[in-house]
Amino acid sequence: MQRDELEDPVSLVRAIANDADRQAFAALFDFYAPRIKGVLVRAGTTPELAEEIAQEALLSVWRKAALFDPARASVATWIFTIARNLRIDHARRGRGVSADTIYKVLSGSDPERPDHRLESAQRDAGVRHALDALTSDQVAVVRLSFYEDKPHAEIAETLGLPLGTVKSRLRLAMTKLREQLEDLT
Amino acid sequence: MTIRHHPNDATLAAFAAGAMDEGRRLVVATHLDICPACRQAARAFEAVGGVALHDEAAALPLSADARKRALDSIEQDLASGQDLPAEKPAVAQAARQSALSAYPLGAWRWIGPGIYWRPVDLASPDTRVFMLKAAPGTALPDHSHTGIEWTAVLQGAFRHDHGRYGAGDFDEADESVEHNPRVEDGVECICLVAMQGQIRFKSLIGRLLQPFVRI
Repeated sequence: MQRDELEDPVSLVRAIANDADRQAFAALFDFYAPRIKGVLVRAGTTPELAEEIAQEALLSVWRKAALFDPARASVATWIFTIARNLRIDHARRGRGVSADTIYKVLSGSDPERPDHRLESAQRDAGVRHALDALTSDQVAVVRLSFYEDKPHAEIAETLGLPLGTVKSRLRLAMTKLREQLEDLT
Repeated sequence: MTIRHHPNDATLAAFAAGAMDEGRRLVVATHLDICPACRQAARAFEAVGGVALHDEAAALPLSADARKRALDSIEQDLASGQDLPAEKPAVAQAARQSALSAYPLGAWRWIGPGIYWRPVDLASPDTRVFMLKAAPGTALPDHSHTGIEWTAVLQGAFRHDHGRYGAGDFDEADESVEHNPRVEDGVECICLVAMQGQIRFKSLIGRLLQPFVRI
């Protein structure tokens, strides 16, 4: 079953952490696992591996539920980072350094930053608003580079643009996006 | 420490998306370790990834028994004595270790007057990563690249046509950049560098060093 909306995902994660709630897990699984698979397949992962990563990601949600901190990230963002790290770890086939080790740099809280002012749901609404502020050209390059993980040369070919144009357009779009996001994190 | 040069926003976004090879990821992570502003931006781009996941239009159904298998794994977890579905929060709160310290480092090697080089042992060959240590006042040979050269400055400072790069700064050069960095007087300069393609020296001494250096 695939759901269109998910009521109060934070409570679902808490129910797993506090009560080992299987129904809460099933709800998160039904919502996020097909989305993870979809994103990965579009980025070029085989359907088999994408399914495996989606499975593992949701199992990590179960095992790490007590670590989830809604002040730091929304459930969607937290699951996105779990899936991202699993994808990287699958690609390195057990060699080298784990993605968790590298991305730990973003997981701590910064004492030099003021406390978060926004609830995660508000923050995600702000991100959508920021994406809406981009032009369709900008959304196209952001989508290809960020969501679909295409090298710049491939984006240039897809859009029929010179490589330099793609690079500068991408930087401009990301900078605009960042400005819109500045107050949200 | 005032940081003046940062990775560009597209680079921070690619880091947050995981769309970056191991070598570049390490050098960006090393900058993030020092730079709170870039950590904040990278977290914002992670939130973009979260929204993209949540709003994903092309969700693909998993095989029919996928959810049951996941629930079976959970029951196994619970049966094997992990009575709480949790890893210890203490793990997450443990002091942050720099990304670089997780990698094996080679020995420092002399590669030219006042210049030492030390390889970082990566699992993937896409991008080479190494540390450079140069004595105060050293001029590095004038060179260009056939690929990217990203530099995180860890100590000291150098200058080239695009400005001054001190501890904490990030120099994101690509194949269009041709430069001849010179280390400032004072302390020796230590950098972490990610490089793709070939480096091309313009001077005779540089070309003589090239086969030896292999960087």
